[in-house]
Amino acid sequence: MTGKRTMAAALAAGLLAGTAGAANAQSSIKVGVLLPFSGVFGGLGKDQAAALEMGFDDLGREVGGRTIELVKADTESKPAAGLAQVKKLILRDKVDVVVGIISSAVAGAVRDYVHGSKTPLIITNAGNDALTGEKCSPWIVRTSFSNSQINRDMGPWMAGEGYKKAFLMAFDYAAGHQMMDAFKAGFTGAGGVIAGEAYPPLGETKDFGPYLAKAKAADPDVVYVFFAGGPAIKFTKEWAAFGMKDEVQLAGAGWLNSALYVKKQGADAVGTLGALNYYPSIDTPENQAFQAKFREKHGRDASEFGVAAYDTVRLIVDALKATGGKTDDKAALVKAMHDVQFTGPRGPFRIDPQTNNVIQNIYVARIEEMGDSVGAVIKHTFPNVQDPPNGCTL
Amino acid sequence: MPGRDPLHLPAAAALVVAAGAAWYGGDFFLHEVLAEIAIFAIFAMSLDLLVGYAGLVSLGHAAFFAAGAYATASFTVFLGWPAPAATVAAVGCAAALAAVAGVFAIRVGGVFFIMITLALGQMVYAYFFKAREFGADDGMAGIPRPDLAALGLDAAEPHVFSALTLIAAVAVWVLLLVVVRSPFGAMLVAIHRNESRVRALGCPVQRYKLAAFVLAGAIGGFAGSLIAQHTGFVSPDLGFWTVSGEVLIMVIVGGMGSLVGAALGAAVLVLLRHELSDGAFWEAIGLSADLASYWQFVMGLFFIAVVLLAGDGLYGRLASIARRGRRLRRRGA
Amino acid sequence: MLLEPGFLIVQTLNGLQLSMLLFLLSIGLSVVFGMMNFINLAHGTLYMVGAYLALSTVRWFDSFWVALALAPLGVALIGALFYAVLLRHMQRQSPMRQVLVTFGLIFVGFDAVRMVWGVLPHTIPVPETLAGRVYVLGEVYPAYRLFIIAIGLAVLAALYAGLERTRLGAVVRAGVDDRTMVAALGIDVERAFFLVFCLGCWLAGLAGVVSAPVFSIFPGMDMSILILTLIVVVVGGPGSLKGAVIGSLVIGMVDTYGQVVAPEFARVTIYALMAAVLLVRPHGLFPVRRTH
Repeated sequence: MTGKRTMAAALAAGLLAGTAGAANAQSSIKVGVLLPFSGVFGGLGKDQAAALEMGFDDLGREVGGRTIELVKADTESKPAAGLAQVKKLILRDKVDVVVGIISSAVAGAVRDYVHGSKTPLIITNAGNDALTGEKCSPWIVRTSFSNSQINRDMGPWMAGEGYKKAFLMAFDYAAGHQMMDAFKAGFTGAGGVIAGEAYPPLGETKDFGPYLAKAKAADPDVVYVFFAGGPAIKFTKEWAAFGMKDEVQLAGAGWLNSALYVKKQGADAVGTLGALNYYPSIDTPENQAFQAKFREKHGRDASEFGVAAYDTVRLIVDALKATGGKTDDKAALVKAMHDVQFTGPRGPFRIDPQTNNVIQNIYVARIEEMGDSVGAVIKHTFPNVQDPPNGCTL
Repeated sequence: MPGRDPLHLPAAAALVVAAGAAWYGGDFFLHEVLAEIAIFAIFAMSLDLLVGYAGLVSLGHAAFFAAGAYATASFTVFLGWPAPAATVAAVGCAAALAAVAGVFAIRVGGVFFIMITLALGQMVYAYFFKAREFGADDGMAGIPRPDLAALGLDAAEPHVFSALTLIAAVAVWVLLLVVVRSPFGAMLVAIHRNESRVRALGCPVQRYKLAAFVLAGAIGGFAGSLIAQHTGFVSPDLGFWTVSGEVLIMVIVGGMGSLVGAALGAAVLVLLRHELSDGAFWEAIGLSADLASYWQFVMGLFFIAVVLLAGDGLYGRLASIARRGRRLRRRGA
Repeated sequence: MLLEPGFLIVQTLNGLQLSMLLFLLSIGLSVVFGMMNFINLAHGTLYMVGAYLALSTVRWFDSFWVALALAPLGVALIGALFYAVLLRHMQRQSPMRQVLVTFGLIFVGFDAVRMVWGVLPHTIPVPETLAGRVYVLGEVYPAYRLFIIAIGLAVLAALYAGLERTRLGAVVRAGVDDRTMVAALGIDVERAFFLVFCLGCWLAGLAGVVSAPVFSIFPGMDMSILILTLIVVVVGGPGSLKGAVIGSLVIGMVDTYGQVVAPEFARVTIYALMAAVLLVRPHGLFPVRRTH
């Protein structure tokens, strides 16, 4: 029996050899990168990972004599996998800080665990309001945006521009509702009327045709939407194909024409209004220098996803410089992040100590023809947009 | 089938010993993986009762997984029940759902049963995705684990919780072994092999199928309750059809109609998935860590290889090797 | 709003267009299943590959029409290859092995597409001749969508004629009814099955190509369409052309109207419909009467 047990133990040990990796040298600062490299958001994950690497190349991989080491983990865009990976990063790789997370579902899944483990997590995309609202944590900082931060000021602005009747459309899930609710509150507050709303099921909508017919029947001045990625491309295309482009103004959260795919959308996207925290055409020296460097490296414009990741690197490196490269006192590290302020590609950047959400400019842009291509032209800036606490008490 | 299969007990013992050894020598993360394996082993064994014994191929088993998980979340978070009481209630909820759905589902057979169970799973998924009272697509967090302070243990520790789930997996295996070796189990297999003959003998076939469906659903709900406690979080994804698909794959890869095979399939797939999606694994075998993002490709090839090299699943292959070995030995003697 | 004639016209056309896409996808799957009891879960993957091949062809030749001619052939070729290497040996094996192999192909196909074409969504332009809009009973409608409907109807007519008039059609019809009998008559069922399988792949590829200018092309586009196709097959009743046609129409229309009439239940309408149909008719609407 003993022999068999030893054999079984050896077998099990062999099977699990990769899983039980050894701890690395103590001297390096470990940054866990928690992004989807596969699954539906795989493209965004790779975009952010590339920008993170570029950030560390630019800003240095050494602080206070300690090298910064990145440990990547794939969330597969799935909550359960994301949770398993964050546990791996914290328990096995013993990372000092975790950055990443594209999907709010993944963020929701890891939130309690990260909070309990007192490991600083810097969210580089997931926009669920609750993460820096009622479910905020002293350990969770967000450098990207909150869903309502993007859309809140757009309501009154559109009403001020003379649009009186809006039709709202977004996928039927938390982010879709939060974005639409934020717009609706501002728009109706400024005298606008909601002519109708449609919330197609997420992940099962093959065709926007039925919803466009519904929107058209409601006869609005503006259709305000939130779609991103593949659905955004599809929506824009069908919008034009059904002739809506010539009849109704299309507007929405700016991911509808993200820099990642606006050139593919081409003429169909021209005339659309969007609100977003970053557009490649922002006319500042910081942004131009950043875009030039990014284009040289990747042969395309950096997107809002890349910028969020790039600014995150600056936040980490600056905070680490303030603590002299020390990471033992995690509370001091987060405190140092609160004190970081800089002007990055998207404009002034700082973290709100009240909610741990970023305070940033929100830009209104119109998609226009640019030479033989199309791009976003900035029409208006809402400076230093800050979220109300929304039930967050830090 | 285990009743006549001389390999079943040794294989089960080997699996338990391997799990025990891994638990004994493992670190935090390995304990997390072990708990996941144990939970999916329970889930897969419950599905094997349906697929491997009763011949009812379900593509909606995640409905009960999700129901058990959400029931556990609701009883603990909303009503403040302790985790063990919530688990009992969750098993009851899953069984009730299985009873109601089963009455309809077992009326159709073959590919139609696959599709009607798929519909069931998707409806459960859609319900939780929209139900604001259960957090809609955000899910629910803050699900506690059992309070073991009386024993001087803390279930929040991965080594304690993984031990609990491993014990639970062994208990479920024993329970299902008793079931499949009972006259009830024999009747399920008989219905599977020749339904019309069993029916002609005057046996209430539908009642047997329903009983199997409810029992499988209840145990699936038990697995769901454990996964809720394991992750402390539930989301509608738990009921999505790909989860049903994954657990079905575990059963097929491991080997249908042998409870140990299902457990083995769960262990192999959970481990493979963790390894293949880990850049460190690819570096360890001398390749680029970037390959980790193509883990599905390798996984797909693995499925195909299993069918080509071990048509009846890994356990079926082991069993046939063992049989051949015995024959050779007998011939030698 | 729901009773406005304009809304009804546009919505019915939308429903018809989805129905025709589903028909292209489900007919191959249905006949293969009816003939050989073979479940090809990778059918959606073929659809996705068709769309991607169209993308590459359009990039090379700058013509949608070349893509329409070539990409489905490419998909049929891939299907034939898989049949020869893998699936031929699977036919007489248990359905669960077929499920596992074709599920494996889904995984492989998904990542293969990501490796070749990347993860970002793509789109191809609508061909210029069909880029405009037309008036249907006074309502504006994209011309290209009418083209999809026309393709579906043309395929339907061709298949109907083929099944009724050709020798292969006769073998297929007989093979669905009673395969052993046909084989006993000395007819090469194997070969007929191979041809039908390839035709099914070609149609899946065709569906991928014609839907590419309307829908965006991305890894994972195969999954939701696969489920919908399977639903069409079982609702209509596997193995029959009539079943695939009626199943596609019912599912396409209910899905299209359900989304706007009862948006709260958009996610479950189709599943509820399928469950209801199966409870009333456990073998689908038009089951093939089997003689064995």
